[in-house]
Amino acid sequence: MKQIEVTLKVNKKERRAAVAPRLLLSDFLRHNLHLHGTHVGCEHGVCGACTVIVDGVAVRSCLMFAVQADGCEVTTVEALGTINKLHPLQQAFWEEHGLQCGFCTPGMLMVAMELLSKNPNPSEDDIRDAISGNLCRCTGYQNIVKAIVSAAKKMRTVTEAAA
Amino acid sequence: MKPPPFGYERPATLNAALSLLKNDGGKSKIIAGGQSLVPMMNFRLVRPDRLIDINRISELDYHRIEGSQLAIGALCRHAGLKESEVVKNACPLMHAAYHWVAHGPVRNRGTLCGNLCHADPASEMPAVVLATNAMMVLRSSGAKREVPAGQFFLGQYETATADDEVLVEVRIPVAPKSQGWGFHEVSVRKGDFAIVAAATTLQISNGKVQAVTIALTGVGSHAIRLPQAEKALVGGKAEDAAFREAAATCASAVSPNSDIHGSAEYRRDLAKTLVYRALRDAGERCN
Amino acid sequence: MTSHLEDHVIPPSRQREKPRSNLKWIGQDMKRVEDPRLLTGKGKYIDDIELANMAHAAVLGSPHAHARVKSIDVSKAEALPGVILVFTAKDASEQTAQVASFSSPPVPQYCMAIDKIRHVGEVIAAVVAEDPYIAQDAIDLIEVEYDLLPPNSDPEKAILATGDAVLHPERGPTNCAYDQEFKFGPVDEDFAKAEVVVRRKVKWSRSGAQPIETVGAIADFDEGTGRFTCYANTSFYNVVNFVIAGALKVPPTHLKIIPTIAGGSFGSKIFTHRHVALTCALARAAGRPVKYIQDRVDNFLNCDAHGSDRVYDAELALKRDGTMLSLRFRVIDDYGAYFQFGVGHHGNALAQVTGPYKINSIGLRVIAALTNKCQQGAYRGFGSEVTNFLIERIVDAAADQLNIDPVELRRKNLIQPHEFPYVIPTGNVYDSGNYQAVLDKALELVGYNDWKKKQAAARTNGKHIGIGVATCQERSVYSPTEWWSLNPLSNPGFALTSVPEGVSLRIDSSGKIFAQLNAPFWGNSPETVVTQILAEQFTVDPSDVVIGYADSDAGFNGFGPGGSRYTVMVTGAIVTASGKLKHKLKKLAGHMLETNEEDLEFRNGTVGAKGIPGMEKTIAELALMGNFFRMSFPDDPEFDSGLETTAVYDHPLSSPPHPQRKHLGIFYPIMGHMCHVAVVEVDPETGKVEILDYAAVHDAGTMVNPQTLGGHIRGGTANGIGSVLFEEYKYDENGQFLNANFADYGLPTVAEMPKDMKIGHLETPSPYTEYGIKGGGEGGRMGSPSAIARAVEDALKPFGVRIDSVPIPPAKVRELVRAAQS
Repeated sequence: MKQIEVTLKVNKKERRAAVAPRLLLSDFLRHNLHLHGTHVGCEHGVCGACTVIVDGVAVRSCLMFAVQADGCEVTTVEALGTINKLHPLQQAFWEEHGLQCGFCTPGMLMVAMELLSKNPNPSEDDIRDAISGNLCRCTGYQNIVKAIVSAAKKMRTVTEAAA
Repeated sequence: MKPPPFGYERPATLNAALSLLKNDGGKSKIIAGGQSLVPMMNFRLVRPDRLIDINRISELDYHRIEGSQLAIGALCRHAGLKESEVVKNACPLMHAAYHWVAHGPVRNRGTLCGNLCHADPASEMPAVVLATNAMMVLRSSGAKREVPAGQFFLGQYETATADDEVLVEVRIPVAPKSQGWGFHEVSVRKGDFAIVAAATTLQISNGKVQAVTIALTGVGSHAIRLPQAEKALVGGKAEDAAFREAAATCASAVSPNSDIHGSAEYRRDLAKTLVYRALRDAGERCN
Repeated sequence: MTSHLEDHVIPPSRQREKPRSNLKWIGQDMKRVEDPRLLTGKGKYIDDIELANMAHAAVLGSPHAHARVKSIDVSKAEALPGVILVFTAKDASEQTAQVASFSSPPVPQYCMAIDKIRHVGEVIAAVVAEDPYIAQDAIDLIEVEYDLLPPNSDPEKAILATGDAVLHPERGPTNCAYDQEFKFGPVDEDFAKAEVVVRRKVKWSRSGAQPIETVGAIADFDEGTGRFTCYANTSFYNVVNFVIAGALKVPPTHLKIIPTIAGGSFGSKIFTHRHVALTCALARAAGRPVKYIQDRVDNFLNCDAHGSDRVYDAELALKRDGTMLSLRFRVIDDYGAYFQFGVGHHGNALAQVTGPYKINSIGLRVIAALTNKCQQGAYRGFGSEVTNFLIERIVDAAADQLNIDPVELRRKNLIQPHEFPYVIPTGNVYDSGNYQAVLDKALELVGYNDWKKKQAAARTNGKHIGIGVATCQERSVYSPTEWWSLNPLSNPGFALTSVPEGVSLRIDSSGKIFAQLNAPFWGNSPETVVTQILAEQFTVDPSDVVIGYADSDAGFNGFGPGGSRYTVMVTGAIVTASGKLKHKLKKLAGHMLETNEEDLEFRNGTVGAKGIPGMEKTIAELALMGNFFRMSFPDDPEFDSGLETTAVYDHPLSSPPHPQRKHLGIFYPIMGHMCHVAVVEVDPETGKVEILDYAAVHDAGTMVNPQTLGGHIRGGTANGIGSVLFEEYKYDENGQFLNANFADYGLPTVAEMPKDMKIGHLETPSPYTEYGIKGGGEGGRMGSPSAIARAVEDALKPFGVRIDSVPIPPAKVRELVRAAQS
């Protein structure tokens, strides 16, 4: 089958490739672009480990083909922060013990990012609703909710201080 | 696992999409949100020769009031509808049912029309469009036709959409202010497909039932209306006993399948409980 | 110390580091060392590794539960562009040998089905291709014809099956893999003097770990050396590597396994030997590195790690006042198609089979049935979470039958704080505990009395709230006598006696402490815990510690995480290793400071003279001298260059079983304890259960990091909630696996968890382990099923519903209510 040219922005960098139509966005990110932070847990769109942000909304990258992301802006966990400069969400997950094996974590961070970008002051129920489509087998979720509450508060403080 | 190979087209207009479908022998599939289609492709249960991606046909991305109807275009995502004040006012039943539909990221991409065409026997929205007497607007390359919701769902994953047709719009009569509604669902986990869900609308006048719709999902190969129970209610007192009897009638009228989440008997039993609760809530909302 | 049992001695404690309150790092909620790289997406899980020239594998699983392959045509698959090779049973039978089994006699298993197929999804062929998409396309092109054999799905029927229905005819003409009776203590006499006998039949259906990351391996065969190198997210590579080498028909020296971090395991990655062997065999056959990442559906179908699948017929003998006397049961366990750990899942349960109660005797009959399903492996609790469930169900049944409050019945029978070390009838020892304090704390934490009031008020409003209290044991630090001690006396099998753990330490010339672990990361916190222990031992800052993971060439003696053992065992090894290095550092310092070693102490990263501040040398200075400047020191071999050592730590408290199995010795004595209280609301018309409140108090001895221990309690509780409320691997009567995917087999999401689960800790240090630490990794899963089941039963008390089988999804709860109403 013929390959298709795609051009998209990934973590603010323009990327260009020729891909087969059936190449999943999750595989494109991980194996073509070597961005391994996005994880694959099921490939049937349930676990949420593959969640990335496409044009501002959280999306399961195993349910999207790379060709569909042509012209889109994709954000993965690699854009959030580095070990020397963690994003407040990452810092909060660290402080609140919001991860154990870390496999679901990038997906959780992405849905948390989407939530906070739309609602900087979410209630705990809003947070639970936002992460309800992401499976975690390690933590029992409560520390993840705590982490997002904590991060939201810090981020609001920073925003208020900057204003 | 990884999906099998397929060709890919991404038409810029609806007419271009319909052209591609014409004379295609049903070998192509339309992809909008892909939240139901792509898992089936990844499981290799569905192997279209070609995908026609309609995600860039912006003319299909709308929902608005047109006269006395709420018109929802093919590209309208679940997320947009769930958050919409327009939908909340014009179709509170849909707004309430969305609480039960999937999860955020799935709703971000998934479309209402796509969900209806996929016709999962336990999906919530088919029950909603049945209970609201919606009209499905189908377009093919040369034609346009309207199919009432009641004639749209034909079987498990089967609708009245022909191979060369696209469901371009759903039209829902705007709910009168006096109309009550009720929606109840049981699922194993929040966001799962329903084991059974009941959707109703109700209008009461002088303590009597003036109009009622009852729809169920999860009770057979597709979502259904319950005309027998509805007829029995109309003209009678809008009271608890009547609602209970209607619920019992619904339970007798359905022939659910048994599967891993529930036996036929359990689904019938749930139908009775949930229809009653939905009618009771609808009755309270009428006042 | 001798006990009341025959030939049963409790060895003296070897504890070197006493529990104490002036610890600086142990007991701290230190942020995890592992997290920064995991948070930034730089974790390097198995699928993140890319080797040059790497090819990809996919597998074909059998659609039938019991069959022989009549013919297999791979020509179309081989001809597909991009396919490198197709590997069939013929290739596997020629190029590989049996994979390991810990049962005696072993049930033979290969890296794929060789002679016949024994369960749906069992691997019957594999493809290596340029990319995983093409590999899957080729799988679709393999054509197979099958001769069907009768499938076994019901364990009671399976053990009676004959002829073609027998799964392993070469082992004998039966699907009954094990049937033994044991009596520990005067069971018959205790039942004879019972005033009340409570009987229950309890069913526990199989579920499984389903970590979010599946199993994976990348293998490379070097034709120049004849050696395999294999990256894998498995454990056990530092102990039984040679066994996998045997499966590949190469000498023990010819396989190096490099561990990758695992995205969760919960036991399912303890020994992925079949996956590793297959990937290595494919790499050798293909002449290229091969990556094989298991598909999620395959993780259901052929993970070799299903959980316990049991029916108990049990009796509890008591006096009318509620004093427990004896427990006996018959249990049949559906083991599936193979038997890799024998009845270890029952053996380990015998470590705590009388629960936290003073029960005088225990009788049991264990029957293991082989059926055409995926075999059992390890899942958080390894079978003793199920025995906990049985015990708590029958204790609650006794409370109901005797009309005694279930909390008071427990209190009456709990072992008292002054009775430790307590020897239970099977011979195992409970090292320390205070069960009353844990119970009291849990009841207070959940607001038990308030909930009782709310429950009463709710009942008058027609709402059904239920409260369930479970007091359960969490044995930790396994010794493998649990596995083989139940093997037939005539054929005891693989006779491991300790399950040791090793560690390597060295201090470089900048004073940094390097530790090499012989065990993988699973989501437990080995780097954090080891850092805290080393910081404590050497009085350094955690940032002065570097942790690495030894591969199977560099490390040895590492069974890794499992059976809640790792923290205790690696700490023991570290205390030994640190002791050696600290001794050397003191010698160096003693010479440089011209002071006797007895007058020196470690403080703030230095070695200095006691009572003389400022008279000290930093570890960095000492290390520089000790590594590079030999000639500055006397000509005594103790000053020879180098600050590095390896230490192996044996199980701190175990003893062999009685030769005639009158008892099983001490095999799992580092005994944690928990009390879980669940408050639920049940909708009797729909069967839906909502958890309103939850409290869990755990005693895992001295805590190294309370926050990470708390994580295990929360996560384990979630696993238990899943197992009890809706998780079940469903096979039909033809052995078809009906829900082998994440859509049909649901894991708990945040919505199914209580909104505010309260946890509490209590510490009764072990007298036997370093610092008194106990294991806590299996955590909440050991107690939550019992608490939840009782809470649902309590909620439905007006209907007279009994919860005797799990899971209890809405359909099941509703069915119980309807049955009770009719």
